[in-house]
Amino acid sequence: MALARLLAQRLLQSLVVVLGVTLVSFATLHLGGDPTYLYVGEHASTEEIAATRAKLGFDRPLATQYLGFVRDLLHGDLGNSLTFHEPALGVVLDRFPATLELTFAALGLALALGVPLGVFAALHRGRPLDGGIMVFALIGQSIPSFWLGIMLVLSVGLAWHWLPISGRVPLLDPLLAGDWRTAWNNLPQALPFLVMPSVTIAVFSLARTARLVRSSLLEVLSQDYVRTARAKGLSEARIIVHHALRNAWLPVLTMLGLEFGFLLSGVVVVETVFSWPGVGRLVFNAINHRDIPLVQAAVIVFSLLFVGVNLLVDLLYLRLDPRIRLA
Amino acid sequence: MNRLTDRRRRGIGADMRSRFRRRLRVTLLGTLWVVASAATCIATAATTAAAAGVAATAPEAPRRVLRIGLPVDADSLDPSETDAQDTMSIAHLLWGTLYKTSSDGRLDPYFAVSAKLSDDGRAYTFKLRPDLKCESGAPLTARDVAYSFDHPADPKYKFTGHASGFVLPALRYTGARVDDPLTITIQFAAYNPIALGLIAEMFIFCRAPYEAMTPEYAASHASATGPYRLVEWRHDDRIVLERNKSYGLPAPSYDGVVFRVIPEASTRTAELLAGNLDIMSGVVADQIDAINHSGTAKVESVASIRRIYVGFNQNPKFAASAGGKAIKDPRVRRALQFAVDVPTLCDALLRTPCARMATMIFPANDKTGIRADPYDPDRAEALLDQAGYKRGADGVRFALTLQTPRGRYPNDVNIALAIAQYLTDVGVKTTVDVLDFASVFVPLVRQHVAGPLFLMGSSGASWSALYDLSDFPAPDGGSNYTDFADPEFFAGWKLIDQTHDPEEQAKVVRAMMNVFHDRGTWLNLYFLPDLYGVSNKISWRPRADELITLD
Repeated sequence: MALARLLAQRLLQSLVVVLGVTLVSFATLHLGGDPTYLYVGEHASTEEIAATRAKLGFDRPLATQYLGFVRDLLHGDLGNSLTFHEPALGVVLDRFPATLELTFAALGLALALGVPLGVFAALHRGRPLDGGIMVFALIGQSIPSFWLGIMLVLSVGLAWHWLPISGRVPLLDPLLAGDWRTAWNNLPQALPFLVMPSVTIAVFSLARTARLVRSSLLEVLSQDYVRTARAKGLSEARIIVHHALRNAWLPVLTMLGLEFGFLLSGVVVVETVFSWPGVGRLVFNAINHRDIPLVQAAVIVFSLLFVGVNLLVDLLYLRLDPRIRLA
Repeated sequence: MNRLTDRRRRGIGADMRSRFRRRLRVTLLGTLWVVASAATCIATAATTAAAAGVAATAPEAPRRVLRIGLPVDADSLDPSETDAQDTMSIAHLLWGTLYKTSSDGRLDPYFAVSAKLSDDGRAYTFKLRPDLKCESGAPLTARDVAYSFDHPADPKYKFTGHASGFVLPALRYTGARVDDPLTITIQFAAYNPIALGLIAEMFIFCRAPYEAMTPEYAASHASATGPYRLVEWRHDDRIVLERNKSYGLPAPSYDGVVFRVIPEASTRTAELLAGNLDIMSGVVADQIDAINHSGTAKVESVASIRRIYVGFNQNPKFAASAGGKAIKDPRVRRALQFAVDVPTLCDALLRTPCARMATMIFPANDKTGIRADPYDPDRAEALLDQAGYKRGADGVRFALTLQTPRGRYPNDVNIALAIAQYLTDVGVKTTVDVLDFASVFVPLVRQHVAGPLFLMGSSGASWSALYDLSDFPAPDGGSNYTDFADPEFFAGWKLIDQTHDPEEQAKVVRAMMNVFHDRGTWLNLYFLPDLYGVSNKISWRPRADELITLD
């Protein structure tokens, strides 16, 4: 019962967040000026502009326009993109596999390298290795992704010719369409394109993960139950993996939910540098062209995904930490 | 005993930790080995992909492929809707036109063999080539040409592209008449001296495939009539074209063309230098040396038809301020022409030499004899004194605001800042207001309330002086962003309409340009130098009209 109430509470909070996002994005874009000029030709007369404004409803109060927008949203209609002349939601969803592919690759890389590095640093606390890992983490968190991306392009791509500089071969798209064969066939070509952008995004998260895992593990390793486990003669590996890491995971898990959102937002710059045809670049271009329906669709999809992932993290928290269930 | 046990326990614990660290080290080394192996595999795959060429990812790798890097994706591949300049380069490979503009601004027959203007000047009759074909192989006839005009003109579809938003209204198109399968007459409401050039901007496509398409479908699918056909459009990534086997005219020199969308200039440059692109547009000034010294590519520049100027907005909105009132005085506007050193601006900020614009007409078509104003700040000061705007005690004559977009034109903000400094040096205190182009600058310009000074670029044509004047169709014209309203200038349009003689028209243009020059309507800057990166493996020259063609 308490669990159901907790879930309902979380869902309600998520709904409020999504509505807030729609309100803010709607207001911000409209405060930028009259969008009617996007719909008329350069040589349109004042009368034509006024007629278009009335036809599209841009002459109505903003509040009325917003309510109309929310009503359409509830019907799954986010309007047509001004630049693509297609339903905005469809355009965003078309690009979404590319962004998800990059985000998952970066998250996977950050976890696969960040967690062992954090554990290693914690076990060698105060030694040169620990210092080295922490210096790496500091550098990783300080490097702007834009700069790192360009440096990788110039070194790995241009000077050494190890990896392709830009572009993408679809991997997740055929997979989502159920076409396993194409996805499998594309895999050898797709991986080289995926490496540099995902490394660029992952470096910051990797460094942060390593630091967090290290500090969490150090805290847990000094707990009485770890000493007890050692006293009972359990192997160090078992102590670390089964007892210490499991508890050290809780703050890491919280961070992962936020990290997912960070990675999604971080792809805007990286997608531009590596010409990765994802939602980040789409939004960047849409903002430049004031394609309001497209920006709104992307923001809503992003916020839904972000809220969904954090809800999932909350649920995992319940699974991992019984104290929350009992509270 | 307890101490001994404790020490033994600690000893055992330390031993276990040490063993665990050893295992962890082995695990980490193993992980690194796996990562290194994966990297090697990826690198091998990358090398294989690179060896096969970039087009390896396309369904079929054409034999001889030209790879072009663009900063933006196509806006639409519907010939009725295309608008952006980069899209036009792609569109000209997919569809033909009745006439086409050569790189030196000549109008040559293309799908038509001849054009004849009617006696009343309100219709052009074109004889078509007999060997024209649709992509399907069906013959392309006058009915298809008529459809190519009627379809974008159809208000039902609400097209806003170049054809429907500019060409057809400018032409005052009234209809197309099919005289016989190979003869078509294009009619318009009134004589238009640039009608042939405007008609040359209309793409010719086949009726049958486009009648079967919805506008949404047509936006991303093409049925070609030109030298190439569309193989694949991966949005925001690439557009792949291959030779159109149905094209009845001489075959193009390349088997395929791949347009790659690479928004970041440094990435585009890296792709060019790595040999993955043959041509890239939009080279930025700070990469000129890197390209020229690479040994694999070079920068080709051309003065484009895009005129960069500072508009003196004479909208009544600004009349209340001292600066706004001052620039309504033609003597002040003339004076300010001498205050700005344009060649130095180009050298320092665009890193490309350029001459100052003499008039708004592209130099190849400019027969007015008007010479560009030199940089002469003393003369500017003297003229301002004569106009009654003397320096005050603080050295300031009056103050102005110069609005500029950010990132729309090469180094636009720095250009604006330099101009502001030049004007301030002659006593016109100028403040730069940097605005977002799409969301703020464009609405202000189009409502004629930007400024009172604003940095702007406006595209003309390489084939007609009259086209270049079309920014000023009437005092209340939509593109007359400075609200210039000199009656002597606008009387010229009536005179042009009254004569069909090009010589007489040239005289009127000369008179109009003299008025434009004497009134200091714009603060003339330069025809924007367009920079392209070109691989040393090919020979290619850019065109002034910003089209990437393979002629």
